[in-house]
Amino acid sequence: MTENKAIEYIINVEHLNKQFIIDKQPMDILKDINLQIKKGEFITIVGHSGCGKSTLLKIICGLVDYKDGIVERNGHAVAGPGPKCGMVFQDHRLMPWLKIKDNVGFGLKSLSKPERQETVKRYLDLVGLSGFENSYPSQLSGGMSQRAAIARGLANKPTILLLDEPFGALDALTRIQMQKEILRIQKEEKTTMIMVTHDIEEAIYLGNRIVVMSARPGEIKEIIDVDPVEGKKRNGKRFNEYKQKIYNYFFENEKEREVS
Amino acid sequence: MNAVKKNMLGFIVPVLILTAWYCCTVFTNIPNSLLPKISVVFQSFQEMLLSGQLLEDLGVSIGRVLKGFLCSALAGLTLGALMGMSKTVTALLLPTITTIRQIPVIAWIPLIILWAGIGEESKVVIIVIAASFPILMNTLSGFTSTPNGLVEVARLYKLNKWQTFTKVYLPHALPQILVGLKLGLGVSWMALVAAELIAASSGIGYRMNDARSIMRSDKVMVCMIVIGAVGILMDKLLSVIFERLTPWIRTAESKE
Repeated sequence: MTENKAIEYIINVEHLNKQFIIDKQPMDILKDINLQIKKGEFITIVGHSGCGKSTLLKIICGLVDYKDGIVERNGHAVAGPGPKCGMVFQDHRLMPWLKIKDNVGFGLKSLSKPERQETVKRYLDLVGLSGFENSYPSQLSGGMSQRAAIARGLANKPTILLLDEPFGALDALTRIQMQKEILRIQKEEKTTMIMVTHDIEEAIYLGNRIVVMSARPGEIKEIIDVDPVEGKKRNGKRFNEYKQKIYNYFFENEKEREVS
Repeated sequence: MNAVKKNMLGFIVPVLILTAWYCCTVFTNIPNSLLPKISVVFQSFQEMLLSGQLLEDLGVSIGRVLKGFLCSALAGLTLGALMGMSKTVTALLLPTITTIRQIPVIAWIPLIILWAGIGEESKVVIIVIAASFPILMNTLSGFTSTPNGLVEVARLYKLNKWQTFTKVYLPHALPQILVGLKLGLGVSWMALVAAELIAASSGIGYRMNDARSIMRSDKVMVCMIVIGAVGILMDKLLSVIFERLTPWIRTAESKE
């Protein structure tokens, strides 16, 4: 049974609960999370800030431990970070003392020098940062730093890439361009991606499925399947229906709160 | 403000001080043995330089500072790094270190003289007592202030402990380590002069005390000025070396 699951799902989360101790009080961060993701899928997660989305990503990539529930990558219980699971953080987290090219190549220690240079150059081109190889992060704008961080996340070709609001610091135009790029990369490299976002349109445009989460404790409200064709038409009728549907989740939440 | 204007401003106060000094020696009757004329000080400087005495004293003192500073740097960096990487070591050592640090280095001198005499060893020991602490404390805080997020990146890319140390903790701590070393060098120089004033038979501090005992305030002032000049030179030298070691800091500033 589990063997079959391993083949079918690259990521398997079952009955995951997570608590943090805040001011000596246990606080539910994630409650009964169930999520199965197939290889090559693009999952987007939308929800209020503080609903545990980032924690969920960190648990999946092994940076935060868990006790209650099952979390598997490739059929194996997650027990720490692995080379094939990359992550792009909300804050760019570039090493201030490394030039941009060395930051992008940070995870490429197994490659030879020419291979490394080649890879770094390719991904810098991809995120539109060629010419900034020898700059330090402090010389780049926030959006450029974030793009460098995305390049770092992609450079060691992870089979799973977790993205924690990676486009939050980008201007609207760059953002749309990066969305297109990330879809292209995802198709080309068949990377399984999970992206946390605040932007509902981004969630629809990128996701094969959208996970809608509620806040405190973080629970999955619904998982919405997105039509692969209609979901890419930003002004389409279906696109707006998806949008309305997701808006309603948060709107209803507010209604409930007003009543109680 | 442009660079020329900035430099000009920096000269105003020294010029005022020199003018005041000049006026005091010419228009008042403060005895020369207390406040010598500028020209007399300059003459003594030439004499001391030409006789070779100044350079000999300076050589002895600088040699002591270098020995003491290198020992302090070694001790401060090693302990600081160990404490920065291990909470256990910090818990073990920090209370003792904080307590000992409260004793001014001058207060150690009598005991050091009893134990080690007034030879070379006692000078080095005094410098180490004075200079290790600023180096240690700055190194420690450089390591402990490493952002968790960057350490998380290292974990994500499966860096082992040593790689995490050399690729994340150490470069992050480096600017502050350099601040500590600079402070340490200044303190070394200060502690040495104090030690030489109290108990020595050579060195620039000894020369000052010797000149005082024969009422040669001009010689005392030459020594003071030379001590200041050497201190500035060593500080500038370190600044130049450090700028090369941490190029990312300079670019961060030039962006502003």
